[in-house]
Amino acid sequence: MTAPIPLLRRLSMAIGWSGLILVTLAVVLSDFLARTQAGVAHAAPLLAQPSALYPFGADDLGRDMLSETLHALNVTVANAAPAAVLAVIAGGLFGFVAARFPLPLRATLRWAIGVLSNIPALLLAILLIGLTTRGFVAAGAGLAAAPLAFVRAFDRACAQGSSVHAEYARATGIAPSALLRRDLAYEFRDTFLSTVARALAAVTIILSTVSFLGFGAVPPHRDLGLMIAAARTTYLDAWWTAAFPALALLIVILLARLAAGLEEGERA
Amino acid sequence: MWRFALRESGRFALGLFGALLLAAAVSALADSGSGASGFAMRTAQRLFDFVRLDFGTSAISGNSAAQDLAARAPTTLTLLSLGALIAILFGVPLGLLLGTGPLRRTTAPVIQIVSAAPVFVAGLALAFAAKHVLGWPPVEGAFPQAGALLHGDAGAFRVALLPALTVGFAAMAAIQVVLRRTAGQMHDAPFRTGLKRLGLSVGEIDRVYVAPMLFSGLLANLGEVMLALLSAAVVAEWVFKTPGMADLFVKSVALHDWNLVALILFFFASAALVVNFIGQLAARAVTEAGRVA
Repeated sequence: MTAPIPLLRRLSMAIGWSGLILVTLAVVLSDFLARTQAGVAHAAPLLAQPSALYPFGADDLGRDMLSETLHALNVTVANAAPAAVLAVIAGGLFGFVAARFPLPLRATLRWAIGVLSNIPALLLAILLIGLTTRGFVAAGAGLAAAPLAFVRAFDRACAQGSSVHAEYARATGIAPSALLRRDLAYEFRDTFLSTVARALAAVTIILSTVSFLGFGAVPPHRDLGLMIAAARTTYLDAWWTAAFPALALLIVILLARLAAGLEEGERA
Repeated sequence: MWRFALRESGRFALGLFGALLLAAAVSALADSGSGASGFAMRTAQRLFDFVRLDFGTSAISGNSAAQDLAARAPTTLTLLSLGALIAILFGVPLGLLLGTGPLRRTTAPVIQIVSAAPVFVAGLALAFAAKHVLGWPPVEGAFPQAGALLHGDAGAFRVALLPALTVGFAAMAAIQVVLRRTAGQMHDAPFRTGLKRLGLSVGEIDRVYVAPMLFSGLLANLGEVMLALLSAAVVAEWVFKTPGMADLFVKSVALHDWNLVALILFFFASAALVVNFIGQLAARAVTEAGRVA
């Protein structure tokens, strides 16, 4: 059983989830809310400043920044959601189960994944995408975020394995598989949503960074990272070309962190 | 302490072996061939080559991978050193000020936002602020070596400033996170109440008991700070067109130059493992010294 969550953190988690629901709505309705389709040039004057007509301005190709940001948010979230699920399964779930494997297998897995967790997740993601194709960008980001989630879940499961209730269970002859099922049920009841939100924050950072470096989304289906990368040549004089996609990205990651109940001193 | 050091040394050696194995597996991709057994054989062969310090040839330049790495290493090492210096000089005091005292709760929302900002966004924001606030637009050019910076070359300083600040800020954020986490764990620790009942003032408890534990916590998490430094170096080298190892890694992956990718991966993993190992030992030593005192 985990300790009760303090009121302030409950409040921030509620804000985080409410915000993520709003983001999901914006993503679902992006085609309806956006004035133009993705990548349509000359929809506005080149590098038009933010105004009532073009609230987010336009970029150097005359693309409406509001429409582009909405489409890019759609691509970012569409990639981040499966990546987060993969990180939870390959990291959190597998780590928890692996801690109950026979000792040699358990130790080998902990060692191998421990080595991977000593490599920056960004480099792992770049490597995985380089080994496959850009179509696997979500899988690459999910797998790159998994080692840290694995290590966390593994260590937590090991601590539970030597807890009082586990000792009682073993003493009364309860099968290890039954104990694992029980611990897994409690683990996921107590932490599933926050684990998913935490993974979402981590993979969103990875996905946007790999796209920024040119390994992620492919035009015209730009994500927020690629939009910011495209603004590199203009943003010093036309701040709006990078500021709005950056703000959207920051909001998604911040909401995911809040939803996960992460304190300000915790890594995603 | 000795048992702990021995155990950590074993872990460190196993970690290095794992990193070497991973690098050998990546390098084995450079040789075409089919089947899992063929790949395993090539990995074993590459592992053997690595042990003999033969890291293969770059598919792009035709030079040995070690030569290409050595050509880029000074830039990245200078960048990492400058970033670490900034983080130590400003990050630790700022972390102690904002993360441990009465300001801890007040600054929490700001730190939450900082934690949510990807490094490349911070790098671009920094470049924007430098241009519009300081009147210093980003300068392109060969990244200066440590010698030029030590001699106070203003031009070299201008080129190095923004990449170093980006890496330094990322490391500062990591230090802030570690210090806040450690401080948060100790904030409600039962020993505080016990020591207060023994008649010690809050200041005495903080100075004699909490400060060494904070320092020890920071040292124990040095690996995390190193990972932040390395990730930030990748982004800073890309954003500010600084041709270092991290930039070479990105280009090598794009061009499938697996020998070079393997070597850089091994270098970065080893750096993180070494720093983590030193940090663990130092943290233990500080804790032991605190107990004796």
